Formats: sequence, C-alpha cells, structure tokens
Amino acid sequence: MIIVGMADSAVVKKPGKLTTLGLGSCVGISLYDKSTGVGGMVHIMLPSIEQARSKENTAKFADTGIPALLDGMVDIGAYKHRTTAKIAGGASMFSFNSNTQLNIGERNVAATKQVLKELKIPIIAQDTGENYGRTIILDTENGELTVKSARKGIKTY
Amino acid sequence: MKYKISNLTELQISALREVVNIGVGNAVTSLSKMISKEVRIEVPGLKVELIEKVPEVAGGADTIVSCVIMEVSGDIDGYIMMMLSEESAKTICTTITNEEDTDIMTPLNQSIIEEVAHILAGSYVSSLSDFLRLNIKISPPMQTFDMLGAIIDHILIEMSTKAENALLFDTLFTIEGHEMDGIFLTLFDPDSMDVILERIDTMI
Repeated sequence: MIIVGMADSAVVKKPGKLTTLGLGSCVGISLYDKSTGVGGMVHIMLPSIEQARSKENTAKFADTGIPALLDGMVDIGAYKHRTTAKIAGGASMFSFNSNTQLNIGERNVAATKQVLKELKIPIIAQDTGENYGRTIILDTENGELTVKSARKGIKTY
Repeated sequence: MKYKISNLTELQISALREVVNIGVGNAVTSLSKMISKEVRIEVPGLKVELIEKVPEVAGGADTIVSCVIMEVSGDIDGYIMMMLSEESAKTICTTITNEEDTDIMTPLNQSIIEEVAHILAGSYVSSLSDFLRLNIKISPPMQTFDMLGAIIDHILIEMSTKAENALLFDTLFTIEGHEMDGIFLTLFDPDSMDVILERIDTMI
C-alpha cells in the first residue's frame, strides 16, 4: 500500500493499492483506468496554483495536481480516455469557523470537478462535503474506492 | 521573514523552547488545579516542518483524536491545539462530572473539553504575553473528535498560503494515576517567530 501524503501524489499498477489519510477540507482524487489496471491518487490542498506564493509543489493544487497525475498514469500505460475519477473530502470540519477559509472544502471540490471536466474525465463516484474526516483507499485490482471515517463508518464506491 | 529557521542559534532555540515551556507549564498548573491531580509535562519539542508534513509529525493524519483548536491573533498569529486520545478525553470528563461511561460527543462533555482547553490556552497565552510583552488574543475554542489530519488541514491550508514551513511545538503531558496523555501543539507562522525572536533578542 502506497501512502499518498498531503500535497502529494502517486501512481501504481494492478494489484497495487493507494491510500491517503485524514482528508478534511483537502480533496483526494483517485483516477483509474480499468482496461490497464493503472490507478493514481493525489491529495490536493488548494483549488489553484494561480495565486500561490510558492509554485514548487504542483500536487498541492487541483488545477496542476490532477493533470500531472493523469500524465503520470499515461506514462505507465493508462489510457486517458478510459480513465474515470472518484473523489472524496472537501469537508467543512467546523461549522462556526469564522475566517475567510470558510468554504475552502467546497472550493476545493468545485475546482476538482472543473479540472476533471476540462480533462474530460467522468466522475463516477463522490463522497464530499459535510463535517467529518475521511481516509480513502483505491484498490487497483477492481478500481474500488473505500472511504473510511471516524464517525460515519466505511463506504465502498 | 527575517530569521532563517535553519540559522537559529542554540540560544535562540533554547529561548523559544523556554517561552513555550513557561506557557505550557502555566497551562498545566491550571489543569492540575482543576482536576486536583498532578500533571506532568515534558520539555517541548521544537520542530520546523514543511506544512504538508505537520499531520505526520503531530501524530499521524488518521489518528483519531479529540481536538480543541483556538486561533491566536494580535501581535503574533498561529494556533494552539490540545489533542487527546478518546480515553484521555473521557478521563477529563469523568474527573469533572464524576460520571462513568462517558460519551465524549455529548454536548455537555464537548463543552467540558472545550472549556478545559480554553482555560489551559488562556493561561498559556497570558504567560506568553506577560513574558514577551506582546498583545495576544485567543479565539473561542472549537472542539471535534475525528482524524487528526482532517481536523487541522484547513489550518494548514490557510498557513500554506503564507508560508512554506510552520513552527511546531509539541508538549506531551501526563496525568498522575491515569494512563492518559495529551499533546499541546502550538503552530506559529514564520513572521510570528520573527516577532518572538526580536523580543527575545531585546531581553538577552
């Protein structure tokens, strides 16, 4: 099992597994090409690199992290047009959060959807929003995405 | 930022550590009075970490904790967090309410934990501001029980728009007679570290 850290990404071939832990407002994007068994995962923190102070780590942003992940998957054999996405995260952990980061979770989800739309990658499952943390695991054996949470049990997509 | 974290002198590092130690020491004294038990702390660890690495360093992104977050503002900006394992949170609640089998997610217990953390952070921050002669305020506490990474990631997101690294102090505390411990985590952005170091430099 490969652990994808915060602002990190990884690709793997069947039968590898990818996981990212403790998604709150961050979004975990898992891409999978069933025909080749190639999977990829990225853990983004922010919607866009545009206004970023440091542009070093592209995996930090939806608009750079997702295309880079897709390229990485194509490099190890995936077909872009057969790749599908499952996304999770984008929660708002504290409902009474007073600062401007109020909707960072929602903004991350919106940006993720926009980027995937531009890349023409269909989102076939999503578990986003609300107020709890998620850990996700992609099994490239079958493309299943398991979403674990501390308070809401385990779901498989 | 003026001071490069990698270029801090031994003296500055010990001074920073001492500042946090005084703050946490005062906080722990309050906790000890509140629950009438001896509370021990370890000398705080000071770490400078890439913001993305903070969840791992703080105990693991998927570790389930009861966490209270308070925002620090004024002359310095940052966050103070108290993280407790479920058992430890229960111990605090049972000590105060004298009830067995507590569910830490009941509104009463949540507010107990919030208030405990708020009192602790209050004494922490007031000792910091007395010692450094800085104007520091803390926000009302926000409490939740979830995965550590998920709880703090919006804070890290916010910090990451301002800085690459965060200054992290973690202090482990243990309560006498109970198998419990908790972590006091203080996160400052690098600009705030400059402010603190400037104050320290004028004092030594």
